[in-house]
Amino acid sequence: MPSEDSPQPTEVVSLTGAHHRFGRQHVLKGVDLTVRRGECVVLYGSNGSGKSTLLALLSTRYALRQGSYLLDGMDTARHGDETRDRLVFIGHHTHLYGHLTPVENLRFFADLRNLSPSEARLREAVAEVGLARVADKPSRWFSAGMRKRLALARMLLANPSLLLLDEPYSALDAQGVAWLNAMLIRYQEQGGAVVMASHDPDRVAVLRHLPHHLDRGILTPAPPPPRHEEPPPC
Amino acid sequence: MKFLARMQAPLGVLTLIALAVGLWMVWNAPADFQQGGAVRILYLHVPSAKMSLFCYVFLTIASIVHLWKRSETADILAEAATAVGISFTGITLASGAIWGKPMWGTWWAWDARLTSMLVLLILYKGLMVLRHSMDDPTKGARATAILAIVGAVDLPIIHYSVVWWRTLHQPPSLAAAEKSGIHISGPLLPPLLAMSVAFILMGVYMLTLKARQIEAQRKLDALEAARLHHE
Amino acid sequence: MLKAAYRIAWKDVAGDFRRRATLSSMLFFAISVLVVFQAAFEPDRKEALRLLPGLLWATTLFTTLVGLGRVFQAEEEDGAFEGLLLASVPRGVIFFGKWLGNLLLTLLVELMILPLTMVLFNVDVWRQAGEILGILTLGTVGLTGLGTLLAAMTQGARSRETLLALLLLPLTAPLLIAGVQAMAGILTGGEVTPWIRLMVIFDVIYLALTPWAFGWLVEE
Repeated sequence: MPSEDSPQPTEVVSLTGAHHRFGRQHVLKGVDLTVRRGECVVLYGSNGSGKSTLLALLSTRYALRQGSYLLDGMDTARHGDETRDRLVFIGHHTHLYGHLTPVENLRFFADLRNLSPSEARLREAVAEVGLARVADKPSRWFSAGMRKRLALARMLLANPSLLLLDEPYSALDAQGVAWLNAMLIRYQEQGGAVVMASHDPDRVAVLRHLPHHLDRGILTPAPPPPRHEEPPPC
Repeated sequence: MKFLARMQAPLGVLTLIALAVGLWMVWNAPADFQQGGAVRILYLHVPSAKMSLFCYVFLTIASIVHLWKRSETADILAEAATAVGISFTGITLASGAIWGKPMWGTWWAWDARLTSMLVLLILYKGLMVLRHSMDDPTKGARATAILAIVGAVDLPIIHYSVVWWRTLHQPPSLAAAEKSGIHISGPLLPPLLAMSVAFILMGVYMLTLKARQIEAQRKLDALEAARLHHE
Repeated sequence: MLKAAYRIAWKDVAGDFRRRATLSSMLFFAISVLVVFQAAFEPDRKEALRLLPGLLWATTLFTTLVGLGRVFQAEEEDGAFEGLLLASVPRGVIFFGKWLGNLLLTLLVELMILPLTMVLFNVDVWRQAGEILGILTLGTVGLTGLGTLLAAMTQGARSRETLLALLLLPLTAPLLIAGVQAMAGILTGGEVTPWIRLMVIFDVIYLALTPWAFGWLVEE
């Protein structure tokens, strides 16, 4: 994880005037967002409000056509491939290969990022997310919760400046939620920045975080929505 | 698009006049001493072959503009050009076969040019099918544009490989017949020119019509989607 | 940088050995195509020698289609393809990796098809086997290169396999023509070099063009 004395600027994300549209449909209408080191921004908003699109923009998966996006002070439009090294995005999909074991899946991920963790480090990461028992089984038959844990193990390997999470609590049991929150708190203390989309103010409550509300493509800092007015959809 | 709408009616009238004049000239053109009356089908065949290729060139340019600028108008024009191009290619193949029957004694002799045209027809069809087999229209448009560019690079290679391959077997081809039949004898040139002008006008008219239809269809689809969204 | 491409290819090839999915379906598909040809043409020895280039190329072409239909199959499980695109690797390198994996699998199958064809059709061209394989490889490079791009293009398309065939067959017509002519030249005497040159030109153009086109394709 990035240490406190690293010379990086304190602003990890600095997004200004971001617009995005699909065909004729405008999904984001001028979003500004600044995330500093150690901060956790939680995005609330109904389905179709543009949360996933905003995360995809932050992950550089969608190219920004209007506005600017600096990650660790680097312009993502100019250094696309390098900036992608500084973030980990864990979305609805786990990006896992069913025919590979957890260790192999993590090694493949590390290889694509030019990290060369030792076999022991990989096993340690697998053990840390509670999958030591199945470290050498193909991940095809894993339950949704196990797959989610394995996907989250990636952030342990990559030491990103920015962690992007789309509904990270879905598919996790109570124990998994506690474990994830402990991990996130540790990551925050070490200076990592988080942007997370969630439906679930209860589970985020233990984290020191900045709630934001996204409504029809417009982002505003706002208190979290009242608890349990609508049942969480996941 | 508004400009196209205003142009459409005058363009249609102009096309009709040009076609009438062209056909009248073809009717009165002298018969070829070798090919007889059959030469007249070439007045249809040659301009439509030119239009088939011209549509592809237009389609390629529109595709590049679409990828580069993400312009929806360019995409609509590309889709329209595909539809127009496939009809001209069909006319070219049919007229070539009709010409071939009295000349070669067979509808289809794997003539190099016609074989290239057949490949072009399949490519046009592929572009249409690819576009409509994608659920996400944005993705479909982008994939189709890239395929169009890949095809533009491939078409010359296909053409030359087919020419080399067929000249191994039988040198006389429609191209050679065209040379002896049209480019040499002077009196045959004016009707060909007139028909070429008529076909260019017809191509532009068809493109206009198709582009407007596609645009209207897309607007309708967007309205339908918005209505579903609100329900 | 190329390490990433190699790792992607390794994942696909090793994964396939583990599941024995693509390789064995390609091989058995090739065998059934050869059986169909035998039943359809019943060539005697002399005819078989004349037909051999066409038989080999047609079989290769159909078999390649089977392989291409599956290039991105593993990537479609649980958004793995999106994961690849999130890696800090240039798109061209990702394409190169996917292509390399498919090329290796296809070449392996071809290596098995050649002796099979000779045995099944009772022709003896062992002396020219090296040259035949060389021409097959040259054709396969372009075939899988363009094919991998088309496979990426038809991701998420309805009735994808049919679409892939519809797009790939006309675009690779030059390779088919040149490959058959070059092989016939070697087996029965005739011009070979110009056809080889045509195949090399095709391969070079598409290896330069396809990674770039792939980059455009996945950009959003």
